[in-house]
Amino acid sequence: MSNQIKIKVADLIGSPLCISAEDGQKVFDKVEHLVKTGKQVTVSFENVSMLISLFLNVAIGQLYNSFNEETVRAQLKVEGLSSDDMELLKRVVDNAKKYYSNKKSYDDAWQEEDQNEE
Amino acid sequence: MKVSVGTIESDCHGFNSIADISSKTKDAWIDSIELDLSSCSFFEANMAAPLYVVIARLRDKLNDVSITNMPSVINTILRKNKFLSIFNQSDLTDINQTTLPFKIFKLNAGDQFNDYLDIYMKGKGIPSMSDALTKRFKQSLFEIFLNASIHSQSESGIFVCGQFYPKKHRIDFTIADAGVGILENVQNYLRNPNIDSCDAIKWAMVEGHTTKTKNHPGGLGLKLIKDFIQINGGKFQVVSRFGYYELSANREFLQKMNNDFTGTCINIEINTEDNNSYYLKSELKSEDIF
Repeated sequence: MSNQIKIKVADLIGSPLCISAEDGQKVFDKVEHLVKTGKQVTVSFENVSMLISLFLNVAIGQLYNSFNEETVRAQLKVEGLSSDDMELLKRVVDNAKKYYSNKKSYDDAWQEEDQNEE
Repeated sequence: MKVSVGTIESDCHGFNSIADISSKTKDAWIDSIELDLSSCSFFEANMAAPLYVVIARLRDKLNDVSITNMPSVINTILRKNKFLSIFNQSDLTDINQTTLPFKIFKLNAGDQFNDYLDIYMKGKGIPSMSDALTKRFKQSLFEIFLNASIHSQSESGIFVCGQFYPKKHRIDFTIADAGVGILENVQNYLRNPNIDSCDAIKWAMVEGHTTKTKNHPGGLGLKLIKDFIQINGGKFQVVSRFGYYELSANREFLQKMNNDFTGTCINIEINTEDNNSYYLKSELKSEDIF
């Protein structure tokens, strides 16, 4: 097996719509396995007509729970995304890095606030 | 039991009026509920979605709901957008094709929602918008729809409805559910029963905040929509329980309503004449992202 693997998202999930967490999980499971075994992975979004943050959070964002930033940077590439979707992915990735680095800090602040009633 | 329904527009007053029906009928059980529209002089078609939240809850408690004394102009609007089919009234042909009709989707029906948008966004009356705007608008609607799928636990599904207002160059699209609401989700997640509806909405609007993670990050959807609407010059409303949030070109505010809207409703109004490109001038490469 080659060390370079391309995952065609639309083929894998059987749809041009990258909208659900379940489909995102399908992509994540494949990518995670391949990165773990040292492969270079290209995630291709060719033929995808709709992409939202929920899907990317699960498919890509979750990788930062399994791997450090260096590993992801070294082994993962994406292709077939328009400029605005690249920006969306960038926000998802930045959010994921923040999420896994200080998971509870936002919430703790809120748990002590406000004593309102309705 | 007879409940009077006044004018309903896509604003805080309109949502509060719909929530008022809910408050007045909250104890109704196997009853007959008559929504009297004799004093309703205007009903913005997209508000059929939040109205159905109240109706779905009443029907769930086996109440027989009817609409009476509806002015003919409103009857026409609500038959064109197929809302009155839930009261067994026949649909009217939408000759101008400015309507995205009322429809109820199951929680997992993202694919059908896509088909719906494909069909009705291409109506002859819907203006041809720039590709970037159309894409960003559709993306926003999917973010909302999927938010409702994941968070609402709504047993009666997700209710959608839209309307193009040609003179204003605006499309309003509304997505509502009769689920648990943002308040309960945030209270449970933060284990803080003292948070109120406005606090809960405020919390949910912060980038990275989400009540359902299952070990993956989230909480970007509402922030992305907010950013989009700010550039587009449109309007964005989030209504859940007593909380009302609105962002428009002139202002952003959160307000406590007098009545309890027993679900969640999000309305997006976009300026259809927007020609923004919606991406940065410098193109990101794969290696810039990770």
